Amino acid sequence: MLEFPGSRLRDRYAIAGIGATEFSRDSGRTTRALGVEAVRAAMVDSGLGAGDIDGMLSYHGNDSTASPVIAGDLGIRLNFYMDCSGGGSSIEALIGLAMGAIEVGMCRTVAIFRAMNGYTGTRIGGTGRQAPVFTGTSLDQGIHGMHSAAQSFAPSFMRHMYEYGTTSEQVAHVKVAHSKHASNNPRALYPKRVTVEDVVNSRWITKPLHLLDCCLETDNGVAIIVTSAEHARDLRQVPAYIAGVAGRVNKDQPGGYHWSRGPISRVAGHYAAPIVFGQAGLGPEDIDVTGSYDAFTFTTMLQLEAYGFCNEGEGGDYVSSGIIELGGARPNNTSGGHLCEGYTHGIGHIVENVRQLRHQADDYCPGWERGEHTYDYSEGGCRQAKDVEVTMNMGWASPPTGSALIMHK
Amino acid sequence: MAEYLGAEVNIASNDPEHLEFLQAAGRGEFVLQRCASCHRLRYPIGNACPLCTALEWSWAPVSGRGTIYSYEVVTHPIHPSFRGVVPYVIALVELDEQRGVPTDYDGLRVLGMLVDAEGNPEPEERAGINQRVEVAFADLGDGLALPRFRLSAEPNEHPVWRLGEGTLSADRV
Repeated sequence: MLEFPGSRLRDRYAIAGIGATEFSRDSGRTTRALGVEAVRAAMVDSGLGAGDIDGMLSYHGNDSTASPVIAGDLGIRLNFYMDCSGGGSSIEALIGLAMGAIEVGMCRTVAIFRAMNGYTGTRIGGTGRQAPVFTGTSLDQGIHGMHSAAQSFAPSFMRHMYEYGTTSEQVAHVKVAHSKHASNNPRALYPKRVTVEDVVNSRWITKPLHLLDCCLETDNGVAIIVTSAEHARDLRQVPAYIAGVAGRVNKDQPGGYHWSRGPISRVAGHYAAPIVFGQAGLGPEDIDVTGSYDAFTFTTMLQLEAYGFCNEGEGGDYVSSGIIELGGARPNNTSGGHLCEGYTHGIGHIVENVRQLRHQADDYCPGWERGEHTYDYSEGGCRQAKDVEVTMNMGWASPPTGSALIMHK
Repeated sequence: MAEYLGAEVNIASNDPEHLEFLQAAGRGEFVLQRCASCHRLRYPIGNACPLCTALEWSWAPVSGRGTIYSYEVVTHPIHPSFRGVVPYVIALVELDEQRGVPTDYDGLRVLGMLVDAEGNPEPEERAGINQRVEVAFADLGDGLALPRFRLSAEPNEHPVWRLGEGTLSADRV
C-alpha cells in the first residue's frame, strides 16, 4: 500500500472567498461574462483586489473561457494558471493543486472558477444533435446505446438494488431532502418541495432513473479563492480551513469498463476516504454537514456509503432516515444541490459548505448576513445547520472517479 | 460504408484493433484480446494487459455465452440513431470465461443491446439480472458485425431478478 503524507498541510490553507452568478436556464451571456462575474464576486467577498490574486485554475469540457481571459478582463496579472478538462471530480482536486502551487512558491493566492452555459450551451447529457457516427471508443459503449451520464451510471445503480434490496422510494428521499433545502434558498432554480411519490411517478429516463432522480442543467459561474491560512486570517471573512483533500481518486479500470472490476456499486470514494480522513485526522462521525455530488439521487447514496457514513448496502435506509435533511443529524446539500439549486460541476457545493461554516447561509432569515438564524426549517425559512464546525464535500465524475474535501472553521 | 441504425461506423486507419474485432464478428466469431504473457483475456480493447502490463497480445475466440450481471432500460434516447428503438435494454453481460478473475468480484463484462431473433429490442420483461444470454451478431455491412445478446435456452443458474422485485439474498456475491 502507498503511504500518504497525512496531516503535513492540515489547516495551513483556507478558502477565503466565494462568489457566484445567478443560476438560470437562459443566461444570454458568454461563459467569459459568467466567469468574470463569479471571480469578481469572490474577490469582493474576500476583500481582495486584482493585485492580490496571482493564481487561477479552472475546469471545463471545452465549454468555458480560459483563465488568462478572465484574469485579463479583471486586470489580474497571473504568476500561475491552469485550465484542465474535467467535470464533477475537479474542484476538490484543484483546491489541492492550488495548495501545492502556493506551497512551492509559484503563486500566493488562487482563484478557481467554473463557468458554463450548461443548458443553453453544452449540455452534459447531450443535445441529441451530435453527428450520427460511431468511431473510436464509442465502438465500445456508444454503439450499444449508452451515451449520457444517466445511461452509463445506471448499471451500477441497478446492481445495488439487486444486491441490497434498495428501492426507488428509498433513493427518492435524496431528492425530497434536497428540495426541502432548496425551498429555503432564494437562489435555487427549483425551490419547490417534492414528495417521494412525485419522484417515483415522474417519467422514466433510463430505468432505474426517473426524471426527478436526475439533476438540473443550468447556466452559471461559480468561484472560490484559496490562500494560506495566515493570509486568510487577515481578510474580510472567517476562513474555511482545509483539513484534508483527495483528488480524482480512481477505482481499477476507470476508462469506461470499470464494471469488469467489482463490486460495481462500490464507488471511488471507497479509495478516497482513507486519504481525506487520514489527512484530516477525522472520521465520518466528526462531520456536521456533507455536500455530496448529486448528479443523480443514487450518486449521493453511493458516496455516503463509500465514505463510511453508513455501511455498504445500507445507503437506502440511511438516506430515507431523515439524517440527511436539515434538522437531521448530518444534513446533505443544504443549498438544494445539483438536483434543485443548479448545476456547476460541484463547485457550488464547496461554496455552500463555506457558507455553512461561516453560519451565513443566505436563506430567508432576516439576519442571515450577521449569522442570525431561526433554525426553523419550514418552507421559506432557514437553511443554516446548527453549530457547524466541520464539513465534507464528496465530488464525483463517474462511479470509478471521485474527490473529497474536509473543511472546518 | 458500414453503418448501424442509420449512423456511419467509421473506424480510424490507426485503429486496427476495432476493425479486426468487428471483422471477426462479421465472420460470426466473438473474440477478445488475450495477453501473451499472463494469458488472461481482457475487454474492452486496450493497449496493455491491465492485470500484468504486458503489451503483446493476440485475438482469442470466446463462447459468447454469459449471464446478465446488470442492465438498464433506456426510455429517453440521447443519440439520434436510437430514437426509433426505445425502449431498449442495455445488458451488462458477464461472460462465462474468466469469471472471478482476478478477484471474486471481477469478470469479463460486456455491454450489448438485448435483442430478439429478428434483432429487435427485447421487451424489458424478458431481461433481468441472472438471465442467461448468448451473443447475436448485427450485420453492419463491409464484412463487419456488432456483437449484441439474445436470450439463451440454457437454464439460469440463479433466479432472474427484475427492477421492482426486491432483493434475492441467496446468490449475493
